[in-house]
Amino acid sequence: MVDILQMKGLTKAFGGVIAVNKLDLEIHEGELIAIIGPNGAGKTTLFNLIAGVFPPTRGQIFFHGQALAGTNDYQRARMGIARTFQDVRLFGNMSVLDNIMVGLHPRSKYGMLSAAFRLPRGHREEASIRLTAINTLNMVGLGRRANINASELTFGQQKLISIARALATKPRIIMLDEPAAGSNVLETQEISDLAKRILEMGITVILVEHDMRFVMGTAERVVVLDGGEKIAEGTPSQIQNDRRVITAYLGEQEDQI
Amino acid sequence: MATWQLVQYVVTGITVGSIYAIVGLGFTIIYSVTGIINFAQGEFVMLGGMIAFSLIGLGLSMPVALILAVVLVTLAGIIFNLVAIRPAGRASTITLIIITIGGALFIRAVAGLYWGRDAVPLPPFTGDESLSFLGAYILPQSLWVIGITAVLMVGVYLLLNRTLVGKALKAAAINKRAAALVGIDARMMSLISFALAAATGAIAGVVIAPLSYASYDMGIMLGLKGFVAAAMGGFTGVRGVFLGGLGLGLAESLAAGYISSSYKNAIALIFLFAVLLIRSRKLMVGEEGT
Amino acid sequence: MMPLFIRGRGKMLVIATLVVLLSIVPLLGNAYYTSVLIIIGIHTIVTVGLCLLMGYTGQVSLGHAAFYGIGAYIAAILSKTYHVDPWLAMVVAIIATAAFAFAIGFPVFRLRGNYLAMATLGLGIIIWILFRELDWITGGQSGFLDIPTLSIGGFSFHSDFRFYYLVWGFCIAVMFISQNIVGSRMGRAMRAIRDSESASQSLGINVTLVKVKILALSAAYAALAGSLYAYYVGFIDPPPFGFLFSIRLVVMAVVGGLASIWGAIFGAASVRLLTEFLHPFGDIDVVLFGLIIVVVVILSPQGVIRGLVDLWRRISRKLAPS
Repeated sequence: MVDILQMKGLTKAFGGVIAVNKLDLEIHEGELIAIIGPNGAGKTTLFNLIAGVFPPTRGQIFFHGQALAGTNDYQRARMGIARTFQDVRLFGNMSVLDNIMVGLHPRSKYGMLSAAFRLPRGHREEASIRLTAINTLNMVGLGRRANINASELTFGQQKLISIARALATKPRIIMLDEPAAGSNVLETQEISDLAKRILEMGITVILVEHDMRFVMGTAERVVVLDGGEKIAEGTPSQIQNDRRVITAYLGEQEDQI
Repeated sequence: MATWQLVQYVVTGITVGSIYAIVGLGFTIIYSVTGIINFAQGEFVMLGGMIAFSLIGLGLSMPVALILAVVLVTLAGIIFNLVAIRPAGRASTITLIIITIGGALFIRAVAGLYWGRDAVPLPPFTGDESLSFLGAYILPQSLWVIGITAVLMVGVYLLLNRTLVGKALKAAAINKRAAALVGIDARMMSLISFALAAATGAIAGVVIAPLSYASYDMGIMLGLKGFVAAAMGGFTGVRGVFLGGLGLGLAESLAAGYISSSYKNAIALIFLFAVLLIRSRKLMVGEEGT
Repeated sequence: MMPLFIRGRGKMLVIATLVVLLSIVPLLGNAYYTSVLIIIGIHTIVTVGLCLLMGYTGQVSLGHAAFYGIGAYIAAILSKTYHVDPWLAMVVAIIATAAFAFAIGFPVFRLRGNYLAMATLGLGIIIWILFRELDWITGGQSGFLDIPTLSIGGFSFHSDFRFYYLVWGFCIAVMFISQNIVGSRMGRAMRAIRDSESASQSLGINVTLVKVKILALSAAYAALAGSLYAYYVGFIDPPPFGFLFSIRLVVMAVVGGLASIWGAIFGAASVRLLTEFLHPFGDIDVVLFGLIIVVVVILSPQGVIRGLVDLWRRISRKLAPS
């Protein structure tokens, strides 16, 4: 099993608050792993550290054995680390298809000059971008919504588009930040199926999630964080019965399980 | 370098700096409550001085004229809010910037038409005999300026941070919907903040005019410098705007005294860029709520 | 982006009509109209750049007059003091201004919102002060005179008639180029940045670089316009390149619709015509200008055309039988 991501001694402090504390974690290539934990456990901070939104206070992250120190978020996206946001952040003033086409930005090249003077190279790339975007859109089942304004989609549909948009960057890893949040049962199932299909494409999937049913039904491996530290890791069923996990979520009231 | 010279510059610097602080206070008040940068703030200062001049010219006694001037400018601030700010609703930053700039242009042009372009004098509050202080001369008006500034700073600080009204004012800026849920009307808060800012601006105008004359275009530079002072307090800090204003005033005065007076305005720009530079470092880490 | 109510063939028709109308104007022989339209054309060029920066990329610039002025002064100084061919001087002015914008763009775009606005304001003021103070090169307050005219071979653009077509030729070219950029991969990146910078970064877009490039492009347009202005009037001094003009430019962009390339013509024309109209009122003109700006911006923040369209829609909905 190859490690696609390795975190060694990863620490992030915001002033006096230590959000992530000396975390050691390996993510295996091609796995679907969920990171869970109570509120404030440091899950989103971990996400942001991997995505490169801010640098760690201490520690290292390795991507395919290569240290990520010194690279920032847009560079990591180009290297193949994609992510979605909890609050979606679609480009509300653009069409659905345009949103996906933005995802293809790093995989295309033609620039201002080619565009300004309508050079053939631009036309060719644009056609290819468009085609790929339509295919990606179809993959999440929203092909018919291509030309409407992204802000007019339902929340569930917006989530799917944000995932499709991240997928368009042709990543090696995709990090989904609470993909099931605010979704109903049907939508949650759709996202779970989508996550598995992404896996079949050979992309490693890391999720942060609160919805336990979603996690148990989707993930192969689960890592539990609390107070910025890893307190447990294993299969979903192992985690469910882990004392420490139950304590972390429910305080000392184990009997209530 | 004679000590008395230094003292003179320091006194001038603190006096001028106090004015910058009061002007900056107006920016701070409005920003803390509405998140808007009011480019017309300098014009409230100008109106204060000019209206006081006219009222005194009409024969009103000093204290009455000054108070009435402040009241009238406060009214102007309220009208400005109702006519230009409230209808804009939840407009974008750039729209609001244009609106307040448009308002400033309008007010300034009207003032220029009504009062003409010349600078007008205002009599000092308590006579113009200089007092001697450590070998330097200080006008009693300067003491008024410094004193009133101190009172205003403390007053506004307490208002914004220690009273319920102040908390209500700030709540609307932080989260409109939540504030509405507890009965705070954001639009009313906005109105109050503009009234307060206009009042403090008018006080500044009324208090500085005896020292340096009032004119229809005095609002521009004062507005810019007040902005810089407010920026040094992050637009929300009363202590910051006070210290920032004083610092700016002192730096200007010392530069004018020891280097050359043509660099006075450049100082403000230097301060501005220093503040922006510092802010840009702060903004580097984490935007948009990551 | 044309206002949404005009699509496809309708759009082509409107543009064609506009081009035809513009072509006829000088032939009417009215010197006043021609010269006003030359100025409108020059202003439109700057406004298009500002629309790209503010409307499409979501940034703000309250100091764009500085780029206009730098372009004007470089072209004027090179062509008169150093006897450089005016065309070459113009090219140098454009490249130099764009390079300057590119360089200051990086530190400036670390700021957002109101702070960014103030930084651009401050920079605009500083550059204006430099125009005034560096009087041994720029002529300072008294201005810079006797700027040569543009010519190709023996054909000189000394008359309003010829200059008109030159300016509008450039203007149409600038709009064409900008329209192409907006509809391309770059245009999508710009709009993405406007809607969400963090999401754009997460998709591999180097947000700062895009902003800086667009700033440089808009500065290039402004410099082109500034050079044309210098060659047209033959004389330049600091006042037209100050804060007030920067604000006028923003108003032109907003009135025409920030996110509308073709709207820039409308915006520039409106502001220019308004100024001309208010002239006879003497000193009241700035008063009314300020008032009108505020009213327009409040009533239709998306630009006057959009505002009128929305108004039209509302009226026709009320009049239509249900």
